[in-house]
Amino acid sequence: MHYYPFMRLLLVEDELDIRSFLKCSLEEAGYQVDAAADGRTAEKLAIEGVYDILIVDLGLPDQDGISLILKLRQRGVNAPVLILSARRSVDDRVRGLEQGGDDYLTKPFALAELLARLRNLLKRNSPPDNQPTRLRVLDLELDLLRREATRSGQLLQLTPQEFVLLEYLCRNAGRVVTRSMVLDKVWGMRIQPDTNVVDVHIYRLRGKVDGKGQQPLIRTLRGVGYVLKDR
Amino acid sequence: MSSRTAKPILHSAAWRISLWATLAFACGTMLVFVFLHRFVADDIQRRSDAWLSGEVEVLGDVAARTPKDAVYGRVVGEVAELAGKEVPNRLLSESSENDSVFFLQAGSDGSAKLWVGAGSGEPNLRSIRAASILPGRPTDIKVQGFDIPFRVASMRMEDGSLIYLGLSERDELRVLRNLRSRFILLWMLLVLLGFGIVFYTTRRMLSHVRQITEAASRIGHSDLNARVPTTQRSDEVGQLALTLNHMLDRIENSMHQLHTITDSLAHDLRSPLTAIRGKLEMSLSAVAQPEQSEPIVSAIEELDRLDDFLNKSLDVAEAKADALRLIRSEIDLDGLLRSMIDLYEPSMSERGLQIALRSAAPLKIFADASLIHRMIANLFDNELKHLPAACTVTIKLQTEDSAAVLILQDDGPGFDPQVLPHMFERRVKGKDSQGHGLGLAFIDAVARAHGGNVSACNRITGGAQVAVTLPLT
Repeated sequence: MHYYPFMRLLLVEDELDIRSFLKCSLEEAGYQVDAAADGRTAEKLAIEGVYDILIVDLGLPDQDGISLILKLRQRGVNAPVLILSARRSVDDRVRGLEQGGDDYLTKPFALAELLARLRNLLKRNSPPDNQPTRLRVLDLELDLLRREATRSGQLLQLTPQEFVLLEYLCRNAGRVVTRSMVLDKVWGMRIQPDTNVVDVHIYRLRGKVDGKGQQPLIRTLRGVGYVLKDR
Repeated sequence: MSSRTAKPILHSAAWRISLWATLAFACGTMLVFVFLHRFVADDIQRRSDAWLSGEVEVLGDVAARTPKDAVYGRVVGEVAELAGKEVPNRLLSESSENDSVFFLQAGSDGSAKLWVGAGSGEPNLRSIRAASILPGRPTDIKVQGFDIPFRVASMRMEDGSLIYLGLSERDELRVLRNLRSRFILLWMLLVLLGFGIVFYTTRRMLSHVRQITEAASRIGHSDLNARVPTTQRSDEVGQLALTLNHMLDRIENSMHQLHTITDSLAHDLRSPLTAIRGKLEMSLSAVAQPEQSEPIVSAIEELDRLDDFLNKSLDVAEAKADALRLIRSEIDLDGLLRSMIDLYEPSMSERGLQIALRSAAPLKIFADASLIHRMIANLFDNELKHLPAACTVTIKLQTEDSAAVLILQDDGPGFDPQVLPHMFERRVKGKDSQGHGLGLAFIDAVARAHGGNVSACNRITGGAQVAVTLPLT
């Protein structure tokens, strides 16, 4: 299930391998994808067509990705941009763009993370919906004000941190979240631990949420991430 | 404030240079004066000797020609008194009584025949007899009742008697004393003025050196854009600034070169990694059977480890060259450690490990958040991977001398003593370690990049200890 079907996306990436798998994966995720291999083509496409979102690689053969974005902004292209980069250093101009509402993702990345970032960028541009005070996924219900979770009416004994983790999974129900996304959003850390610390948290949470005889909701997709089933 | 500025002035090079220069100047001028003083004193002496010899000759002549009758004493006495009024260097404002000159004629038997001067003349005669005065050679004698010695010239008369003319050295000494006191006053003023001028100029010159030093020390690791201030002058200090700036140019250039290399290395490796990872993920989503997915999953995990390894190696390499780029922000180490413990605690208790934090209050440092997070995660990962069950990890956070000190202690087997001295080098790891041997090198690199350091040791009570020191600002 995707919240933004038929969104028009312009993918600017010079590496054929990356471009083709991204196009394929993004189309599978429900985007209408146009791809450009260089800056000039991208400029032409972006100005002629109407796109909801852009993915721009920084290292283009004919020009710098940031110059392209700045040029497009001048020409009135206001769609949010997800910047991809394989560089080590984050350019100050990239930070400027980040503050302007665009996002930045370092290669290599997990597809789930790319999709999550795209969703966030699109959400930012749409009017904010009322902040819900309750989240409901199948028979799992979260009261965000009282910080309580119930499953089939049974109160779950969760620690505050487990509640935050479950809330994050619920907000992304039906979608894969990766380890680094969980670490970033739940613990506020951009780290890559050598150990399976997040798995242990998920395992414990699963033990509390998925009781005996109940349909297991939290799934670990090895090598990809975790997902809270919504059907 | 004054005590804070006074100390550096007394310890400054300008102060020392001024002191030595002033000392040399003072000694030199003093030496010149000593010679001058001697010359003046000798000259005065010579003049008064010439006067004495001349006058004693005149008096002798008068005495010889004057008949030895009743008026002899009066005639010779008046001539002698007249001579006393022409004393060289004499102060005019003095009292009418002339005690600076005496005339004495002594018979061949040694008795006084004629005396002109202040007092009875008895002590003068005694002193003259005690000091054998040769005619034609003026000599100093000390007379009882007078503080200042007399210069006495003598002449032998034809009748065998001796005439003596004495001149007090009082006026001569007063002239010299005046000279000395004026010189000392002038000398002190000169020395003070000289000190002031030397101190001012050297301080001004050295203040530029100080500015250069301050600027150079501000140009920290990885911030090489700044340059030391230069002057228009092309003196030594100006040259120093220029040379330093040239050196900084070269360092910045090599640093830029290094960044270009690590950037392109990262780019060249990450691009294929991205493509491979994407393809693996796509094929993973196409696989229906869980057992078929296993090799793909492990390939993705390997790939993520490779990416992590690449990042850490480049971080360590850049840090070794003092070229690690930091994006600093305020971090609360206390809060960070609490969330880190929260993150690691389940995994630790799963392995039978205890974890305890000893930190009193929030401790803010100004550092690169991502690097500090990864560094602390690395420390925790190390404990998690290497500690046997039933051990306790104690984390202490404290402030010492404007630095945050983070100490990780455990009661496990401790570090391999053979590895301990090389702990923070790349690719050094214990026998049983499964990591790539970058963990501690990375921790060291991050601490150094922030101007701190890491030390590791085995505790006396058993177990390992790693201490990370990070400056607060």
